[in-house]
Amino acid sequence: MNARTLAVERAPLLAVENLVKHYPTRRGWRAGPPVKAADGISFDLEEGETLGLVGESGCGKSTAAKTLLRLIEPTAGRIMLEGTDLARLPAHRFRRYRREMQMVFQDPYASLNPRMRAGDIVAEPLRNFGWDNSDGPARVADLFGRVGLPADAMRKYPHEFSGGQRQRLGIARALALRPKLIVCDEPVSALDVSIQAQVINLLEDLQDELKLSYLFVAHDLAVVRHISHRVAVMYLGRIVEIGPVEDIYARPRHPYTRALLSAVPKVGGRGKGERMLLKGDLPSPANPPSGCAFRTRCPFARAECAERAPQLSGDGAHRVACHFADQIA
Amino acid sequence: MNQAHPAPILEVDDLRIAFASPDGIVRAVDGVSWQLFPGEMLGIVGESGCGKSVTAMSVLRLLPGPPAMYASGAIRFRGENLLDATEARMRELRGNAISMIFQDPMTSLNPVLTIGEQIAEVLMLHQGLGRRAAWTRAAEMLDLVGIPDPQRRVCEYPHQFSGGMRQRAMIALALACSPAVLIADEPTTALDVTIQAQIMDLLDRLRREMGTAIVLITHDLGVVAESCDRVVVMYAGNKVEEAAVDELFARPTHPYTRGLLGAMPDLDTPVEAGRRRLAEIPGMVPSLKQAAVGCRFAPRCAYAEAGCHRTVPALAPLAVGHAVACLRAIDILEGAPA
Repeated sequence: MNARTLAVERAPLLAVENLVKHYPTRRGWRAGPPVKAADGISFDLEEGETLGLVGESGCGKSTAAKTLLRLIEPTAGRIMLEGTDLARLPAHRFRRYRREMQMVFQDPYASLNPRMRAGDIVAEPLRNFGWDNSDGPARVADLFGRVGLPADAMRKYPHEFSGGQRQRLGIARALALRPKLIVCDEPVSALDVSIQAQVINLLEDLQDELKLSYLFVAHDLAVVRHISHRVAVMYLGRIVEIGPVEDIYARPRHPYTRALLSAVPKVGGRGKGERMLLKGDLPSPANPPSGCAFRTRCPFARAECAERAPQLSGDGAHRVACHFADQIA
Repeated sequence: MNQAHPAPILEVDDLRIAFASPDGIVRAVDGVSWQLFPGEMLGIVGESGCGKSVTAMSVLRLLPGPPAMYASGAIRFRGENLLDATEARMRELRGNAISMIFQDPMTSLNPVLTIGEQIAEVLMLHQGLGRRAAWTRAAEMLDLVGIPDPQRRVCEYPHQFSGGMRQRAMIALALACSPAVLIADEPTTALDVTIQAQIMDLLDRLRREMGTAIVLITHDLGVVAESCDRVVVMYAGNKVEEAAVDELFARPTHPYTRGLLGAMPDLDTPVEAGRRRLAEIPGMVPSLKQAAVGCRFAPRCAYAEAGCHRTVPALAPLAVGHAVACLRAIDILEGAPA
């Protein structure tokens, strides 16, 4: 460990505080209620750690992830990377922090330029941040080796690769600038099971070698459990439960987390009676229920849930936003 | 399930389907057989390109030919070979005796017709109902699949429905004529787990109440484990293993089946034990342009011997209802090292 990492050992690599993203809507010529895609999200991420972010489609997990990199501009909140608030930096000063945080996208085809050769795709971030002719080509070749792509793949175009190889290419590109943090937005959900295992193993190996931090956004709870150290569960733009992976999966406290976990089909015995079926769909984030947003689908909801929104609370690392977490556990 | 072994309602017999492509013939389905018995749910699992969807589409003769060619085999519905049936006969069967639900409900529903009109159309065409009776029945179907406020919802368009509700509407449409066979091609792949649980619950209930036999095509072994009675595992256009669901998960035998199970992260192994490295299946699915000389899986298989690259393994019974196409099946079951 060098001096820099020692100095920040106490502070997390990334601290997100009260991140908000509201999208304006229109009703005719008047402003409608904003869509609250992310509504006050806070979490920390340590060096070398993976935080899994799970929830149903439309819960705001991808919005939260993209807002971190300012691919979507946040409405409010702080994004502290090693003590610097990225949310407030002007664009020209923010640019150098882009090196520190990279992204791997869900669709490995749509996120690669079909008219660029694989070698150029991986070299592009290097060129953007000062290409060095003496060192550049070797760096690209090294990246190809690291993600398990053959060297002759550099001359190929994206369509010549299989889905799993394209995702490897996306990972090589994300690694090019030696980032500290990689945001993975559903990186394996478009892949077949056997290929998914290859990519997950690759991500884990790279983390061990390079001390990377991952924010791993996914809807597949088994994958998230496998790769994450800590997990945050989102519902309608808020984190409803966050904690170490073993606590969340073995002792879920929020009714939504329990419902999510019980809905996962499992290989190998589980009585069907244990399943907790949620009724209905996710409410609209433009018009969320009053109080606790989950109360319309919650089997434990009481009058109080409609009146006050529960805050994340709890002692230690495992925190939950539910008025009755202690009673229903 | 079917101890008495009644006659299968649907039987796929040595089906071979090829596609003409600019650089050769692709053997998408290469000699696949299975039977579906009344009231059961049969799972067909495999990865992209293994031929599972092509098999499903061929039952309703939905594959456009050319490029699709039925090289050989038969698909028998109640004894009648559908590959010989006229187009008029197929139109009688589709959506009536055999119906299908697809992965993406948005692209399979008509966006310019209301949900009610789409369901009523099927009922008027196949069951000869009048417009008013068909409309009433459409609302009943929406109620049956658990869509709240069906009287209002029949008058709405697909874009006004959420993803889970669209899939329910498509199930209502598929079941409107009480089909004997329902083919569900990845019905929950596009849906969230909570909605997936609702839809699988619904399919299971409808199967019990209406006696519909279901072919469930999926890549998700978890869904298969929870819902199906029997499973067919496909790889590169071949059936590599078939068994009752409990048997398959208790004694997976084909190296590909074992590979799939090992590659799946699960929710049961304790986290405290540390990260388990997922088993990888090295390499990729082979090109289906060449005729098979040996086992299609041999190049990726840890158990492969010289013989595996020369001989195409035949499907051999291992136990009652459990068949495997692997030369080394017995060795593997006896615990031979990879």
